[in-house]
Order: sequence, then structure tokens, then C-alpha cells
Amino acid sequence: MPELLEIGKLSAGYGPLRVLHEIDMTVRAGERLGLVGLNGHGKTTLIRALTHMSGWQQGSIKLDGKEIGGARSLGAGRRTPGLVRMGIGVAPQGDAIFPGLSVRKHLECGAFSKLAWRERKGRIDRIFDIFPPLRPLEHALVGKLSGGERRMVSIGRMLMTEARLYLIDEPSLGLAPKISHRVMEALWDLPVEGAMIIAEQNVALLTGRADRMIGMHAGRLRGDVGHVALS
Amino acid sequence: MDLGLIIYALNLSAIYALMAIGISILWSSVGIINMAHGATFAVSGYAAWLITGVMKPVIAEMLGNGGLATFAMAGTLVGSALVAGALCGVVIYLLAFLPIHDKPNFQVRALIVTLGLNIAAVQGLLWTFGPRNQGLPKIFGFGRWEVWGTKIRYDQAGTIIGAAIIMTLTLAWLRYSRRGLEVRAMMQNAEGAAYSGISRQVTALPVLMLTGALAGMAAALLSQTIFVSPTAGVIPLVKGLTIALLGGLGSVPGAMIGALLVGFLEAIVGAIPFLGQRYVMFATFLFIIAVLIIRPRGIGGLLDDTRE
Repeated sequence: MPELLEIGKLSAGYGPLRVLHEIDMTVRAGERLGLVGLNGHGKTTLIRALTHMSGWQQGSIKLDGKEIGGARSLGAGRRTPGLVRMGIGVAPQGDAIFPGLSVRKHLECGAFSKLAWRERKGRIDRIFDIFPPLRPLEHALVGKLSGGERRMVSIGRMLMTEARLYLIDEPSLGLAPKISHRVMEALWDLPVEGAMIIAEQNVALLTGRADRMIGMHAGRLRGDVGHVALS
Repeated sequence: MDLGLIIYALNLSAIYALMAIGISILWSSVGIINMAHGATFAVSGYAAWLITGVMKPVIAEMLGNGGLATFAMAGTLVGSALVAGALCGVVIYLLAFLPIHDKPNFQVRALIVTLGLNIAAVQGLLWTFGPRNQGLPKIFGFGRWEVWGTKIRYDQAGTIIGAAIIMTLTLAWLRYSRRGLEVRAMMQNAEGAAYSGISRQVTALPVLMLTGALAGMAAALLSQTIFVSPTAGVIPLVKGLTIALLGGLGSVPGAMIGALLVGFLEAIVGAIPFLGQRYVMFATFLFIIAVLIIRPRGIGGLLDDTRE
């Protein structure tokens, strides 16, 4: 399979703090990659650096052979919308929802490309098929929903436009075990072509389903563990 | 309270709401506290004065002196003020947003740059036109209606109706258009908006033009009651900023309710015999400070029962 994402010597951090230390990794097209590690070891920073949301960063990031990385010390988030439009879908940590907008409006926000906007009705329906609990909440304000429903809205927003690479940060964070299982099941069953990087602390949720798992420790990648089965 | 007082209060509220909504939308979506809003107000007023001055003979020649001519005059005045306001928005975008929007402490920098723009624009107007007040043509005419024994001046009624129309249009645009959806998304969560492919650099321009046009509308309407002068924008700016704060900076309904509250407060304080006009500002600020001490998120915080 061709390499979709090639990261070379990527360092990133916030102010004087260096969180990522010269990371090298590749992701193949269509691959579902689990990124595991403890809190504070750089999973979220890696995902944020891929979309230019970290405080600063340096090193190469190639998406389909096109360089989207580079050294940057300012302007967090400046290139993010452009990268999202290039085909990086993100479900960020903490969901980044719009509290005063309804579920439908959220999903419409996700349909930013011309094609997705034209087809938004059908696509919203598809999201409701993936996450059935959202259907009756179509016109509810997302600021009044529960944590699990917000996570579904956030992932649904990401899915409204086809991406080549999906970045999902801690899909189980703050959810009850039963609900986090349901969200993870929906993620594995997604009918999408793009590659997926799922950052997760709970190894058991990735076991057996992720194509590959990479550990993260103190801002460095630790071992490409491949298929693991923990019982 | 008699009807005249209510009309006067609504008249004040309409002008304040136009200013406050602009400041509130701009702050929460783009992150600029626009100190140049007052300059936009004054510049729009002068633009309307200049253009109506040029157009008056032309319109008189073409349409004579009847109702149609007054209508054309009104269109020219409001249109030129709106366009001038929107152009001021473009200038603010080019000077106070684009060069600094990805630098650290953008919000403080933008505050300083817009304050500088405000001072420069007011001095520029003084330099060019001098400190004299300029009267604009009265598009609503002189006169008053008698409603239940109270006299309502045409300019008051026109201001209230005009402001209501413009605000309804603005709210409808925010609510139903795609660009409006993007602006609302940006107001509520900048990071989520970026992950939805909504670019701040692109969206900031229409927002600045819209808020500029709102200030232009306020200038056009207020010019029917008082004269235009280089420093005419100062009081509307201060009132707009404080009312936007009272409304909870970022809440459009909050700003509208705040404008109504302050308008009525000022009208009532002005009408109480032993207080009178000189206590109006005093009472307004006391009220806003008291509200913000009790409810730090302002009126918007009372209306909003969602959580981040």
C-alpha cells in the first residue's frame, strides 16, 4: 500500500516546553492506527501538530507526498482550516462543539466542501444511521447534550466531508465504559476509505481491531507493536 | 410613564443596539475589540453628508421636489452611510487584522491598533472638515404624529423602524445563511470552527464589513436627530462597548436586551425631576457595573443554559 502520511523528525511543543522529540512514522492509506500512551506523553500534541494547532513545531509532514509540515513558531491554527480542506478530518479532544447550535447545524458546519454542502441532507441522514441516538436530537442544542452524544456529534461533524486521513483524539475520554464501547464500535465499522489515527489510553478498546498500534512515551514513539491481543 | 418617554427610550435603544451588536459579534467571532467603531460611525456620517450634498441638486433636477425625491434622498443617505461603514470595515481588516492576526496577544494588539485608527480617523476628519457640526438632510421630514395625545416625531419613528429592519436582516443572515452559520460557529468555538474548515482570515472580512455597515446605519439614523461632527462617534462607541459588555460580549440577544434596558434607564433617569440629564451617564454606568458584579457573564449568561 502507498504511504499516505510520512512524518520525519517532527518536534513540537508549547512555548519553552518541547513535547514531541523528532518523531518519525508513516501511515499507509486505509490503515487504522492506534496511538497508545499515558496522559501527557504527547498523543494529543502529535495530533495537534499534524494540523498546525500546536504552539510551535518543526519537521516534515507529508500527506500523499505533499509537504504540509515545516518550521513554525507562531500562528497556531492559522493553517488548520486549509489542512482540513485538504483532507484531514479531526475529532479533537474535548469535542470542540458549538454549544448554541443544534445537532443538524453542527453537521452542516462539517459539510464545508461544495459537494458535501450540496449533498448535506443525505449525509446527515447517513450520520444518523451511524449514530442512531442522534436522530431524535436533531434540533436539540449540543450544549445541552450528554458527553457521549457530544462525542457522536463531534465525530459526525468530522465524517460529513470525505477525508484522506482521520485523526480521532481519545474517543473514550470522559465516557462511561458502555458508551465508550459503543462509540468505538461505530468507529471501527465506519464505511470510510481514509486512514485513521486513533489516540487512546485504553489499550483494551483498540485490541484486535486496530491494524497497528504504536506506543508513545515521553514524546517519543516506543515500538511498533503491530497486531496485539491483550485479554 | 407616558408614551413620549417610551418612544424616546426606544429611540436611544435602537442606536445603542446597532452599535452594541456590531461590537459584540466582532469580538466573539474575530477577537477584535473594535475601538475604531466610533471612527466608523463618524466617517460614515461624513460620507453620507458629502454624498447627499453632491446628490441633492442632481436628485432635485431629476425628480423635482416631491415625495419621490425625498425617497431617493433617503436611499442615498442610508446607502452611502452603509457603504462607507463597510469600507471602514475593509480598512480595519487590512490594518488591524491581517498583519497581526497570527501574532501572540492578537487581541491586545488589535485593541491598540484600532484605538490608534480611531484617533487618527477623528483627527483626519477634524483636519479636513473642521470642528463644525454638519446637518444632514432630514429624510423623514419635519413633523410629528399625534398618537393618543402624545406627539411622536418622524425622525424618532424612522430611527426605531429603520434600526428594527436592519437588525432583523442581520439576525436573519446570521441564522439562515451559510456564511452566517460559519460566523456563529466561530463565535462559539474557534477551534471547532477551524476543524470544520472555517477560516478566520476569510470570515473576518464579511464580519468586519457587516459590523461597519451597522455602525454606518447607526450614524445615518442618529444624523436625523443630532448633527454630524468629527467626535460624534465617541459617545456611541462608549455606549456600544459598555452595552456589549452588559449583554455578555458575544451574545446578540444579550446586547439587544442590554440596549433596551439602558435606553429605558436613560430615558427614565432623564425624566426624573431631581436627577435629570446630568445623571444619565452616572446612572448607566452604575447599573452596568452592578449587573456585572452580580452576573459576570452579563445578560447573555442569563439567557444561555448550555455548557461548553
